Amino acid sequence: MATTNKKESLRGMFFMWALLTAIGLVISVYAPSRLMPRSMSDNMHLTILTIIVFSVAAAPVAAGVYAVALHALRHWIHRGDDVPAPASEQTREHATLTVSWVLASTLLTVFLLIWGLGALAVDNGGNGANPLVVNVTGQQWLWTFSYPGSNVQSPTLVLPEGRTVDFHITALDVTHGFWIANMGVQVDANVGTTTELHTTPNQLGQFDVRCTQFCGLNHAFMVTTGTVVTPAQFSTWLATQAKAQKA
Amino acid sequence: MTTTLEHATQAPAKGGGLARRQNFITAMIGGVVFAWLGWFLAHHFLDSSSRSYSDLVTTSLTIGWIFGFWLGIGALNGPGRWLIGADHTRADDLYYAGENQGRARYWKYCTDHKVVGVQYIVMTAVLLGAGGILAMAIRTELIVPGNHFVNQQIYNGFVAVHGMLMILALIVAVAGPWANFVVPIMCGARDMAFPRLNALSLWTLVGAAGLLLSVLAVGSLTMGWVVLAPISDQAGIGMDFFAMSIVVFTVSTTVAGVNTICTVMTMRTKGMTLARLPIFVWGSMIAAALGLYAFPYFSLVEAQTLMDRNFSTSFFVAGGGGTGWLQANLFWLMGHPEVYVILIPAVAALFEIASVMSRKPVFSYRTAIAGMTGLAALSILVWAHHMFTTGWAPTLGGPFMLTTELISIPTGLFFLVIIGTLWRGNIWMKQPTLWLFGFIFNFIIAGITGIYLSDIPIDNQLHGTMFVTAHFHYVFVGSVLFGAIAALAFWYPKVTGRFLDETMGRISFWLVFLGVQVTFLSMFISGLKGMPRRYSSYSLIFEHANVLTTLGAYMIMAGMLVLLGAVVRSWSHGEPAGPNPWHANSLEWLVPTPPPLENFDVLPVITEDPYNYREELVQA
Amino acid sequence: MKRSNAFGTALISIVLGGGALALAGFALASAAPHQAPLQCQPIAGSPGNCTLTISTYPDSLAGEHGTTGGAHADWVSYSNYNLDVPANTTVHMVIKQYDSGGSLNNAFFSHVWGTTTGTATYSIPSTDGKTYSKPAALSVVDTNNIGHTFTLRGVPGNGTPIFVSIPLPANPATNSIAIGSGTYSSPVLVSFTFKTGSKGVYEWNCEFPCGGSREGQFGEAMSSYGYMSGTVTVK
Repeated sequence: MATTNKKESLRGMFFMWALLTAIGLVISVYAPSRLMPRSMSDNMHLTILTIIVFSVAAAPVAAGVYAVALHALRHWIHRGDDVPAPASEQTREHATLTVSWVLASTLLTVFLLIWGLGALAVDNGGNGANPLVVNVTGQQWLWTFSYPGSNVQSPTLVLPEGRTVDFHITALDVTHGFWIANMGVQVDANVGTTTELHTTPNQLGQFDVRCTQFCGLNHAFMVTTGTVVTPAQFSTWLATQAKAQKA
Repeated sequence: MTTTLEHATQAPAKGGGLARRQNFITAMIGGVVFAWLGWFLAHHFLDSSSRSYSDLVTTSLTIGWIFGFWLGIGALNGPGRWLIGADHTRADDLYYAGENQGRARYWKYCTDHKVVGVQYIVMTAVLLGAGGILAMAIRTELIVPGNHFVNQQIYNGFVAVHGMLMILALIVAVAGPWANFVVPIMCGARDMAFPRLNALSLWTLVGAAGLLLSVLAVGSLTMGWVVLAPISDQAGIGMDFFAMSIVVFTVSTTVAGVNTICTVMTMRTKGMTLARLPIFVWGSMIAAALGLYAFPYFSLVEAQTLMDRNFSTSFFVAGGGGTGWLQANLFWLMGHPEVYVILIPAVAALFEIASVMSRKPVFSYRTAIAGMTGLAALSILVWAHHMFTTGWAPTLGGPFMLTTELISIPTGLFFLVIIGTLWRGNIWMKQPTLWLFGFIFNFIIAGITGIYLSDIPIDNQLHGTMFVTAHFHYVFVGSVLFGAIAALAFWYPKVTGRFLDETMGRISFWLVFLGVQVTFLSMFISGLKGMPRRYSSYSLIFEHANVLTTLGAYMIMAGMLVLLGAVVRSWSHGEPAGPNPWHANSLEWLVPTPPPLENFDVLPVITEDPYNYREELVQA
Repeated sequence: MKRSNAFGTALISIVLGGGALALAGFALASAAPHQAPLQCQPIAGSPGNCTLTISTYPDSLAGEHGTTGGAHADWVSYSNYNLDVPANTTVHMVIKQYDSGGSLNNAFFSHVWGTTTGTATYSIPSTDGKTYSKPAALSVVDTNNIGHTFTLRGVPGNGTPIFVSIPLPANPATNSIAIGSGTYSSPVLVSFTFKTGSKGVYEWNCEFPCGGSREGQFGEAMSSYGYMSGTVTVK
């Protein structure tokens, strides 16, 4: 015979939703900046913030689905070895629920979209006057950098703090991916054309430049270091390199 | 003409000449012979000093292989006989449908959709197994940095071939076995609309798989399964094998897609209106239509790559006026819809399972259809989110971000349908249900992490990292594979007459489920920390995450091995199940097990959808 | 199936399947070419120093690909691609360059990078191969006359950072010397020193593109491990 479950209280489910949301919120707020590379630019800062915002928005959604699933496992599983009878509620439609669900997911999506488009529009790579131009050449399997203003070439990337840098990026053989993990900027290096990135380093210290587009045999070794130094240290370095390379 | 179970016990059919003796062995022989012929002709007539010589010889060899394979399996017999005016008789048709041939028919060009369905189960297992071996090789190599077991060239080849094998396996994982075995019966039909094309789609897949599996043996690939240009030009003849395997595979999917759609649209029995179809039929049809749109791009882009390599055209060669961006666009025009071709059948099967196991109708059947259709339609408009960081078209970033984020709406509807179906149900906790709950847990993570990646500032940081790899593995392994296994456990009794062993199934589930969490959550972490993907070695800062990922991978491997053991052992030693072990109401459960050759003695007349669960069903 | 049977079958599946996979993996790994690493030789009376000599050939008939040159006898190759050097040591390396050459695609690699002196020492043979120019310490060579480069780097975070790149000029000599199964002319001699730090694994490859592909010329030998690419392990 059809089951006659008296409607069990949904309080447990809502409590679980709240609990899981709380856990999700804590993870959302604390995990990203602890797991991700140290932020060394405004781009990276906004990226980490965006990840936090998206996680915070997603937490109640995930928590809701999980709470229902857990509640189902606790209350709606048929106990016993016999064949389960038809459920007492043979609901086929619930217009209000369906409409609300679509509306809620649309609103959430629109919010994420607005945030994303906004983040995109904010050009926080920096618009500093007198940007430093650095030419980046990707080839199998090495990044090489040149500072056209001073005729200096370098196997590592040295940048002055606080000054906007314009990267002009190209490749000589196949497509490579130019990525500065600490600064949240990435674009492919393509053969026959130049792509551009700009960012403003705002922390001193080391960073890695990694290739992110599978480029063959030694793709995993196409990683090089970079350093952000003070503007004074940068001028000194540039001058020393220019003298040494003129020889 | 009887169509009952007695068939299997009658004397096997005899005679019939060479055509009736064709099987997998003759197919392999035909393939090898004609491959050699193709090689020989090219080798003899071409100038060996030309730049494209090895590519041309290889392409000729692969064309010979597939033609010979078709010839050997008997794919050309039907059309051949029609051409010469000696078309198949009814007796021929029954023979080719496997009448009275017992086990032997599984090795042959058999038109019975149920046989094709079982053959697809075997192909899925073979492809998953081969891809799985490579996955274990990859994870074993990555347990510590440095290249200790294999050098980076071999590792890179593993990565590419693992990807393609698994993609192939998942494209057919649900659609292959179940759109074939179950969908015609669900519609009330005796077979698919084009039974010979059905056999063609399966055996073409086998031929294509042969080419793909050969890639590793001939020097492999040096780029991912996406085989971007211009790096594809640097690969050896492995690239030609790969490209031909895709061109051939597209024949298989096109034929299968046409067959599915025509069957559903034209062969439903009296009273089976579209609104009374089981939701799985809708899902199969929508996925087939989307595949018909998407896969020709794949064939096109690989054909262009072959032309660039063999005939020195410059579709993708910048020096000749082409661009790698064209290759990337064409590839992703296929690549994004393709993941939904993979996902939709799995989700549709889970809808079906949720209903039967909750003992209540699919919640909001119409929303389920709208969700799957909306997803398929939108998926056509999102492809360039794979190209956000290429520098190709920065102004198109916003529009593609818009379309990609909109996809979360129909995807969310899937959760509404599943949760609505489970809500206050009388849930039967058997294997299919277990994998359904696992899917729910994993698909949330898969979907949410996809939304992160759809946001351009986040994508600028996470593109090309292990975060992306973890995201799509939650989709493919955590969601699609779970749906495929649920479908297997659900329809296994219909195919074999026995239940898939419940205890082994549970052991398998927990190993795989926990393994997925360990493997891919730690992979998200290595991605967030900054580890790029497709790296044969990595910086020490990623070591802990990688050790965990490898450990989790071994758990998944153990779980899948237990599942394989369960499938094999239960086939002959499982607990016997009647014709309707789940007490469900769709037509496949109302025919005997195994279903007779042409499914129905008398075609049924339908008066309602299969979602009315009544008392009588429990006793049935 | 009884529960105990089920657990037993599960265990057997894992053991048998795992064993089969391990075998397959072992077979795959063994099929890979392996070369015993060339050890950097300590210099008597000079602790903290060692010496290493390798060669670059226009084909694979000398070096580690066997007397028949292996699967690709016509591919350019280095004599040894697997090198072991001790940690915290000054490595004195000599490369004998037998091959002809052409123009680099990036003038960066015509400079000497990462050596202790900032230079490498070059000695070029005469056309008949009988006499050598006086060894000269140079920091840059002609970018249009390069045979190969030796470019070595590691992954940041795995050992002390090392970046060394040495251009190896093209060989002008035309005489004939037999080495292994091949015939070559007197080589260009290049020597340089660099320092290793802590233990780590470093990869080197040649940056003069001469492999057969339409764009970038980094196919064939350039993209294959063991020809124009190898490993330096600092132990």
